[in-house]
Amino acid sequence: MKRYRRPVQIVILFFIVILGGYAIGSAVLGSHDKPEVGDKPPSFALLGIDGSVHHLEDYEGKAMVINFWGTWCKPCVKEMPALQAQWEKWKDKGVVILGINAGEDQMTVQNFVDQRGVNFPIVLDSDSDAVRDFGISPLPTTFFVSAKGKITSIHTGELDLETLGNQIEQLVQP
Amino acid sequence: MIINTKCECGHQNRVGTVLCEACGKPLFEPDGQGNLLEMRYDGAARRSQRANPTWIDRIWNFFSSVKVAIYLIILTLLGAMLGTIYPQESTFINLSNPGDYYKTTYGTLGHIYYILGFSDTYNSWWFILLLVLIGSSLVICSLDRILPLYKALSKQKIQKHMEFLTRQKIVYQGDIEGSPQEWITRARPFLKKKGYRVHTEPDALLAEKQRFSRWGPYIIHIGLIIFLLAVLFRGMPGLHMDEYVSFPEGEIKHIPNTTMYLKNEQFTVEYYSEKELPTEFQGTGKMLPKLFQTKAVLYECTATCNDPSKKPVLKEVLRHDIEVNKPLSYKGLKAYQYDFDMTPKLRSVQPVLVNKVTGEHYGKFKLDMMNPQRSYTLGPYTLELKNKYMDFMLNDDGEPSSKSPNPNAPAFLFVVKGPDLPKEGSQYIYFPKQIDKEEFQQDLINEKLGGLEKKLELDVLAMGDVDFAKSTTFLNIRTDRAMPFVWIGLGIVMLGLVLGFYWTHRRIWLRVDQGRVTLGGHTTKNWFGMRREISSFLKQMGITIDEKSLDNGRNKG
Repeated sequence: MKRYRRPVQIVILFFIVILGGYAIGSAVLGSHDKPEVGDKPPSFALLGIDGSVHHLEDYEGKAMVINFWGTWCKPCVKEMPALQAQWEKWKDKGVVILGINAGEDQMTVQNFVDQRGVNFPIVLDSDSDAVRDFGISPLPTTFFVSAKGKITSIHTGELDLETLGNQIEQLVQP
Repeated sequence: MIINTKCECGHQNRVGTVLCEACGKPLFEPDGQGNLLEMRYDGAARRSQRANPTWIDRIWNFFSSVKVAIYLIILTLLGAMLGTIYPQESTFINLSNPGDYYKTTYGTLGHIYYILGFSDTYNSWWFILLLVLIGSSLVICSLDRILPLYKALSKQKIQKHMEFLTRQKIVYQGDIEGSPQEWITRARPFLKKKGYRVHTEPDALLAEKQRFSRWGPYIIHIGLIIFLLAVLFRGMPGLHMDEYVSFPEGEIKHIPNTTMYLKNEQFTVEYYSEKELPTEFQGTGKMLPKLFQTKAVLYECTATCNDPSKKPVLKEVLRHDIEVNKPLSYKGLKAYQYDFDMTPKLRSVQPVLVNKVTGEHYGKFKLDMMNPQRSYTLGPYTLELKNKYMDFMLNDDGEPSSKSPNPNAPAFLFVVKGPDLPKEGSQYIYFPKQIDKEEFQQDLINEKLGGLEKKLELDVLAMGDVDFAKSTTFLNIRTDRAMPFVWIGLGIVMLGLVLGFYWTHRRIWLRVDQGRVTLGGHTTKNWFGMRREISSFLKQMGITIDEKSLDNGRNKG
C-alpha cells in the first residue's frame, strides 16, 4: 500500500535471519569448550627449552603432531622413543613433532630429554595454559594437525611406533 | 477482492480498519450490531492486514499474530521444563565424558536424555530457535501495532460519530439548557482540573489524559528484545568467561585469556566452634566452615604480556578480600570464592651445609622447588644441582623418578665438590622434608651414592627457613559482558510495566446535538475510577447521576 513499508519489512526480516542464524549456528557449531576433530587447534605461545618462544603460527603450513606429556607420566615416557624415531624420519618432509610439557620446570625437562636423547622441539606449559585450552585431562594426549591447520585426529594414551607412523602417513596424504 | 473501506464521513480507511479512523463509526462488526465497540488499537488496522498478501506479508502476518506468540511462549516454557529433569552439563565443572555420566547416574532414561540432547537444553539449536522466533514475534507484533496506534492517537478528531459515543462502555445522555458552546466552555476548566488535556469544537469536546501509558506494553517489548539479544549473544567470543583457577597462597598467577594476574596473599578459613553448631551436629566431629576468605591482589599486565621468555610487567589495580558472596570485581571481571585446599605446598627451603666432622656451617642457600638455581658455592664447597624429583620414587628399574609434578616428596640430587672430596665430585641426595628423609632412607641412598653422608649434611635449622604455600584457594573467575544489557533490558521492561500499570489512558468525548449532550468515556482499565471521575465532573456541571448508571452494560450477561 504505502511504498516505504516493504523495505522496512525486508530489512527487519533480514536482520532476524542474520542474527537468528548466527545464534543458532553458534549453538550448533561452536559451543564446545575443547577442540575437536575438524577444529583449528587453539593458539599458544610457549617457551621452548631452547629458550625461544614457540607459537602455533610458527608452524603454519606444516603438518603437526602435538604431544602433551610429563616426565612423571609412564606412558608418556614410553612413547618418547617412538616420537623421536618418527621425528627423525619426517622432520625434513614438512612434519613437525612438538612436545608440550605439562607444568614442569626447565631443569626437569632438560634433564629428561638429555637422558633420553630427545631432540624434537619441546616447550614448557608452566601455567597449564595450553593444557587448559586443548582440554587435556589424561596424559599423554596427542593431536594430529594437517598442513591446512585442522585437527584430523586426537589420540589419548600411549602411542606405539606403528600407530604413530600410520597417523603421520595419513596426515601428509594430499 | 475489493472491500469498500470508505466511511460515510468520507474518510478512506485501510483494509482491516475496525472503527473509522476519522469519525469512529464502526465499519466492521464481527460480533453483530449494537455491542460495545472493540477499542483495541483504537480500531486501527494492523500494518500487516492487507488485501493481497505476498509471501513476505505471509511471513510477516505469521509473526504478527499474538496467537502464534502465545504458542511460541508455551513451547519455550515446555522446552525449558525438559532442561530441569536432570542436571545440565553446563552445571558441571569438569565433566569429561557426559555420555557415561548420564548413563551411569540416571540409567537408561538418563542415557536417552543425553542422546536427545536435553542434557544441554538451553544451548540446543531448537531452544535457541524458539528464542529467536519469540524475538521475531516481539519485534513484528510491536511494529505491526504500535505505528497504527500511534497514528490513530496522534490525529484524533474531536467530533466523533454518534454511534462511537453511545457504544462506549461509559455513556451518558441528557438534555441541557443554554447554547452548546456555552456548556462546553463551562466544562473545559473542570476537566482541566482533573488533569485532562481538553480540545474543543463549537459543539464537541475531547478530553484526554495519560496517553503515554498506552506505550507501556511496547516499552516492555523493547526491553524484552534487548534482554533476548543479550542472552542469545552472551556466548560470543570475548563476552563470556567462566573458569575455575587455583591460587596457592603467596603466588601471583595468570588468569587465563586475560591480561590480569591475581595473587592470593593470604587464605583463611574459620570453622564453627562446637558450641555454635546445631545440636544435631554436635559431637559428630563435623567441621563446618564459617568463613573462608582470600586476601587477593589483582594485577594488570602492562608490558611483555604474551612473551613467556620475559617476565610480565605488572601493575597492581585492586585489593579485595574475597569471601563467599563478596567477589572481587574489576571492570566486568569477577572472582568468586569457590573452594579451598588446606594441603600445604612446599615452595622453597633454605638449608645450610654442615660439616659433620668439624661441625662447621656453611651458607644458607635458597633451594626453590620450581626452577631452582643450578649451582651454589658454600664456603670451600660447590654444590651443583644435577636433578630433582618432585614426588620421589624408585621406578621399576630402580632408578629415581617422580610420581607427579607436585612437590609432595621432593628430592634433590647434587654433585658436591670441595676439600677431601673426589675431583669429579661426589653425589648427594637431599630430601628437604624430614618425613621423606626417613621414609626413603636418605642416608642409605647417600651411602650407595658415595658415602658423603658421613662427612657433610644439608640441614634446615629453623622453621622460618621453610617457605610453603599453606593452602590453595580456588576461585571462579567470570566475565559476563552481556550482563549489563540484560539488566538494561530488564530495567526497560520494569519501566514499561510501571507505565502500563500505574497510569491509565482516559478519554472523554462529548457532543451536543439539539440541546442534548452525549458523553462517551473510555479508559484502558479501572473503569470504576473513570465512572467516578465522570460523575464528579457531571456533578460540577450541575447534573447529578448515579455512578453506576454510567455503565453501558450492553455486553453484560
